[in-house]
Amino acid sequence: MRFIVCVKQVPDTTEVKIDPETNTLIREGVPSILNPFDQFALEEAIKIKQENDEIVAISMGPPQAKKALLKCLALGADKAILLSDKAFSGADTWATSYTLTQCIRKIGVFNIIFCGLQAIDGDTAQVGPEIAAQLGIPQITYVESIEKLEGKKLEAKVQTDDGYKIVEAKLPALITGITPSSFEPTNPPMMNIMKANKKPFSTWTIDDIGGSSDNYGLNGSLTEVIKVYSPPARQQGIVIEEEKSEAAVQKLIELLSKDKVI
Amino acid sequence: MSLKFTEEQDMIRESVREFAQSKIAPIALQMEETKEIPRDIVKGMAELGLMTCTADEKYGGPGLDAVSAGVIAEELAKADCTGSTCVYYLVPASWGFLLNKYGTEEAKQEIFPKTVSGEWFLGIATTESDAGSDVGATKTTIKPDSDGFVVNGEKMYISGVREAATHGGGHITIAHQTPERGTRGMTTFYLPLTAEGITPTYINDLGREGISCGGFAIDNVKIPKHYILGEENKGFYILHEGYEYARALISVICASAGLKSLENGINYIKERKSFGKPLAQYQEINFRLAEHYTKLNMLRDLGYKALKTIDLEQEGKVSRFETSNIVAQAKMFCSDWACEAINDVMQWQGAFGYSRECLDQAAWRAVRSFSLAEGTKEVMKMIVARELLGKKQY
Repeated sequence: MRFIVCVKQVPDTTEVKIDPETNTLIREGVPSILNPFDQFALEEAIKIKQENDEIVAISMGPPQAKKALLKCLALGADKAILLSDKAFSGADTWATSYTLTQCIRKIGVFNIIFCGLQAIDGDTAQVGPEIAAQLGIPQITYVESIEKLEGKKLEAKVQTDDGYKIVEAKLPALITGITPSSFEPTNPPMMNIMKANKKPFSTWTIDDIGGSSDNYGLNGSLTEVIKVYSPPARQQGIVIEEEKSEAAVQKLIELLSKDKVI
Repeated sequence: MSLKFTEEQDMIRESVREFAQSKIAPIALQMEETKEIPRDIVKGMAELGLMTCTADEKYGGPGLDAVSAGVIAEELAKADCTGSTCVYYLVPASWGFLLNKYGTEEAKQEIFPKTVSGEWFLGIATTESDAGSDVGATKTTIKPDSDGFVVNGEKMYISGVREAATHGGGHITIAHQTPERGTRGMTTFYLPLTAEGITPTYINDLGREGISCGGFAIDNVKIPKHYILGEENKGFYILHEGYEYARALISVICASAGLKSLENGINYIKERKSFGKPLAQYQEINFRLAEHYTKLNMLRDLGYKALKTIDLEQEGKVSRFETSNIVAQAKMFCSDWACEAINDVMQWQGAFGYSRECLDQAAWRAVRSFSLAEGTKEVMKMIVARELLGKKQY
C-alpha cells in the first residue's frame, strides 16, 4: 500500500505575532517545526505500515520547509516531496489543497491520505477535507486511530462530542487525525536522522504537477484575509474579599449596580 | 570557522532538546537525592541513539561526528543542571570513539551492541591514587600470559564504576606492559568491571551525583587479547585521542551550563527588586552579566572549533598536534569561566542561591569538576605552551 501524509512547517510558538501592514504572520526570528498534528498523522501511518508499504510525505512551502520533511523521513517516511514555487505563494486553503491534490495525482496510485487535524498557525482544519473533495474520495475526520485495514476498506475510531464511533470507508480514502492527549510525539533517534538525508527527496514546481497558474497561490485563492488581529487581552477580574457572605453580596450588588448591570 | 550546523545537526538538536527538556530537566535535582540516573532515562537516551553515539552503524550506533556529538552534549547540559547525564553521555561517546577507531572487530562486536542499547556502561579509568593527568606515573601493570593478559593494580576517581559493576560494561584503561620503557611501554585496553578480581569502592563526589564515582582494585584480572586497543606498548599515544574528544565535549558542556545559568539569572534580575529597582539595573550586575555572556560564547565557539578539528583530523586534514593544541585551549578555562558565571548567578539570587532548591548550585558543583576531569587546566596550559615553545623547553 502507499500512504501519503500531508504536512506543514509552522512557527514554533503559540503566540504568533501579526504584521499589521500585510496581515500576515511574522515568521522572522521564530523557529519552525513540523506541525504537531501532522506528526501524529504521520505516526499513525507508520503504525499501520507493513513491510512492502510506502509512506510519502508531501508539503507545500518555501525551500526551508525541507526541514519539516527531513524530520518526517527521520521519523519513518520513505520518501518526501516539497512543493515549492513562487506561483504557490499567498495560497488560501483552497489553493493549498489544489496544489497538494495535483501533487497526489502526479504521484498516482495511493491507498490512504493522512492529514493532521489542522495547522497550529492557521487553525482552519480545511485543507484535508478539501483534498478529499477535489479527489472525489471518502474522508473520515477526527480519527484517533485506525482500527482495521483489510482489503479495500478501513475502519477508524472517530472522536465525537459524546465519545467515539467506528466509521468504515472504502479505499482510497483520506483521514484527518485528532491527536489524543495520551500521544507522546516520537523524537527521531540519531540513527534515523543520519539516514534521513539519504532517502529520496524531491522538490516539485508547477512544471512538475501541471495545471494552470490561475489555480495556484493568490490567483487560485477563493478567500482573502482582510484583517488579522489578536483579541484584546482579558482584564483582570475583581475579587470581593469581604469575609461575611452578607457583606460580600452587598458589595457585589454595589459593583453590578455601578456598572448598570442590574 | 563558521558555526553553521548541518540539517542533520539541527534535527539532532531539536530531537535531543525535546527529550532532555521533557524527561531529564524535571527530575534533575531528584537524581542527586537518589544518586542514580533512572533506568528509564538511560533507556530513553539509548533509544534516541545517545549512548556510545560514536559507534559505527555496523555495531548499532549512529556513527556521529564530533560536532554532532557536541550538539547533544550542549542540549543535555542545558536540561540537566546536575551534569549527571552529561557525564553519562560524554564518557561513552569519547571512549566509544577510541574503541571504534582502535578496537578489534571482535571487541566492537561484543561491546558496542550492549553499550548502544544502554545496558552496559563504557567508561574511562586511568587515574590512580598517585597518577592523574600524569598518566606515565601509572602503577597498574598488564602482562601477557598463555591465552591473553593479566592485569594488576588499582584505579581511583573513576566515573560510572557502580553502573558498570551493576549493569555490565567496563572501562578503557591503561597499564605498563614494559615498565622500563616508560610511556612507550604502556598498553591501552578494555577492562570489564564484572570480571573476577575486580573489587569496587565508592567515593562521595561534590557534584554530578546521579552518576557514581569510585575506584576498583584489580587483582590478577584476566582479559582476552582482543580487548587490546591499538598496538601493545603504544597505548599512551592513542589514549590522548579519547581524552581530547572528552575535553572538547566538556568545553561545550561548560559553556552550555554557564549560559543556561545566565538565562536563569537574567529572568531573576529582571524581576527581583532591591532598593526600588530591578537588580538588572545595577551596573555591578549587568556588566558582569555581559562579561560572562561574552566569555561563555567565546568558550562555546572554541569548543565547537575543537570538535570540528577532531573531525578534520579523522579526514587527515589536520595533525595530531594541531588537535591537541586547540582542544587544550578550549578545555583550559572552561570550568573557571562557567563556575565564575554560575557563582555570580547564585550571588544575585541571595540566600536562595545557596539553597539546595536552586538549580544553579547543582550546576556549579557539576561544572567545578571539569577543571580536573579528563586533564587538569594546568596540564592544558602545559600542552599549549609545549606547542608554542617546542618540546625542548621541557
